[in-house]
Amino acid sequence: MEKTDELVGVPEGVAVVPVGPPVRRMRPWPLGTALALAAAATAVLLLAGTRWLNEPAVQAWRTVSLAITVQALPFLLLGTALSGAINAFVPADLFTRVLPKRPALAVPVAGVAGAVLPGCECASVPVASSLIRRGVPPSAAFAFLLSAPAINPVVLTATAVAFPGSPAMVAARLLASLATAAVMGWLWLWLGKDKWLRPLLRHRHTGHRHGHSRRTEFRLGFQHDFLHAGGFLVLGAMAAATFNVTMPRSVLDTFSGSPWLSVLFLAGLAVLLAVCSEADAFVAASLTGFSPTARLAFLVVGPMVDLKLIALQAGTFGRAFAWRFSAATTVVAVVASVLIGGALL
Amino acid sequence: MKRPVQTLLLALTGAGLLHATLLTDTYLRYVKAGLRPLLIASGAVLLLLALAGAAGRGGRDRAPHDHHEPPPGAGHDHGHDHTGTPRIAWLLFLPAVSLVFYAPPALGAYTAARAGSKPVAVQSGFAPLPATSPLPLTLTDFTKRVQQDRSRAVRSRTVRLTGFVTPAGDDDGWYLTRIIFSCCAADSQTVKVRMYGTEVPPADTWLEVTGTWHARGTLGTATAEAALDVEEARPVARPVNAFTDDLPLRPS
Repeated sequence: MEKTDELVGVPEGVAVVPVGPPVRRMRPWPLGTALALAAAATAVLLLAGTRWLNEPAVQAWRTVSLAITVQALPFLLLGTALSGAINAFVPADLFTRVLPKRPALAVPVAGVAGAVLPGCECASVPVASSLIRRGVPPSAAFAFLLSAPAINPVVLTATAVAFPGSPAMVAARLLASLATAAVMGWLWLWLGKDKWLRPLLRHRHTGHRHGHSRRTEFRLGFQHDFLHAGGFLVLGAMAAATFNVTMPRSVLDTFSGSPWLSVLFLAGLAVLLAVCSEADAFVAASLTGFSPTARLAFLVVGPMVDLKLIALQAGTFGRAFAWRFSAATTVVAVVASVLIGGALL
Repeated sequence: MKRPVQTLLLALTGAGLLHATLLTDTYLRYVKAGLRPLLIASGAVLLLLALAGAAGRGGRDRAPHDHHEPPPGAGHDHGHDHTGTPRIAWLLFLPAVSLVFYAPPALGAYTAARAGSKPVAVQSGFAPLPATSPLPLTLTDFTKRVQQDRSRAVRSRTVRLTGFVTPAGDDDGWYLTRIIFSCCAADSQTVKVRMYGTEVPPADTWLEVTGTWHARGTLGTATAEAALDVEEARPVARPVNAFTDDLPLRPS
């Protein structure tokens, strides 16, 4: 069976050097085990009945998690394609030439550069990872990672549409997001440790290798990154859908009264709901019971930290990084929202 | 994850996206209509990637292996930068299989019953209502006319509203509801109009309801309840644009 699998998809007429006799190879989780597990799960489902799958709550959960995944897939593909292209086609020294030499200066420049990547937050994670692999200082790459989903024109336009007549909200979102991104970049310069990152990111040896076809490198990198990040996206979508379906909206009203608690509550809500950054302004606009500052916190935290992003970052940069970075980002984003919201809104 | 499985996964995900967008319109249950071109493009890219993977395996990919026999017990995916795709990628089979074989239904009464009503934007000026009777209105427009229109143009007019049934849970009434996406089902918001005067229809039925404003509170102010005395309720198919805040569109 292993052997036949190996030959699937080899087109006829392509000269293939014979590949040696079938060899049984050990793998941590061989296909056989997975198939057996899937068969067992199917059998259990069939025997126990599929009734629970038709419970309204389960159906709503499946719908919401599939919706988050489907909505994010095009942006994840865009991000991984860009990341693959950066790896394979962009000369290694391009970014080091373009960015300021001093990392402390490179951070705000990278943050502002986030405006050029349109779309949702899922695209920016693989791109930031490939930037680091191409020698961009992690601090600058992280500033880009945080600012890109929040300050690109698509998201700012959506914010203006969702809050008609209050351009201050758009300005406050732009400023607070940029400030958070820059502070997080500097914080990484000050306190960050490379050992929190996955080993692959620490040795920056990838990119085009002499003697290999760039197109094949691009395709393989693209495919690997997409499958990898896609798995984490599904995980994050399922977690977010769980909160989305189980949390009764009446909880909202209990917190809207207190100005301080409401900021923290909406920041937490942004993390749990994982609403796409193009749509979160509409959700924020509907939270009418809350102060503008609390809603700004929702808009600033949401594109930077949420369940699906934490899952994506854990997969791309490593778990040790993801939880530290997400926790710190949440704190910085809340502080930035309170300061800038207090001044502008 | 082995190469053929990766290729299968890419192909299945691509097929799922194309199935949901080109062959059917199931994608409308999950995301806004505007994402369709992006989803089609993604499906095509994934299928191409799978094809390239299937075709490329015979040639360049294998080249580094071919001159030597892989030792027993060695890893499989050596010979290029990306050693092994992690097991987490198996999770991608869930949405792919869901899209192709077992698409979850659209959000309905369960979600609507648990959601608060979406606040209606404040509108200052109201154009005169067209003379058609019954007058088709969206649930949002009806609510605005009832609660904000000082001229009370909607008084004694017969209107026609479309939505699905959400039982109120507390007493005899029920709500005609629409769920609205800004981007995808995760950011859904609910608009509700209370219905009086009929038996509660089964939850999730799409209805076209004709009736007049149920007089409670002062019309044209926030005290007025967005509610309808039902004269006629006719079951209809779910409109194509079920999850937007617009008048229902039907395939011609």
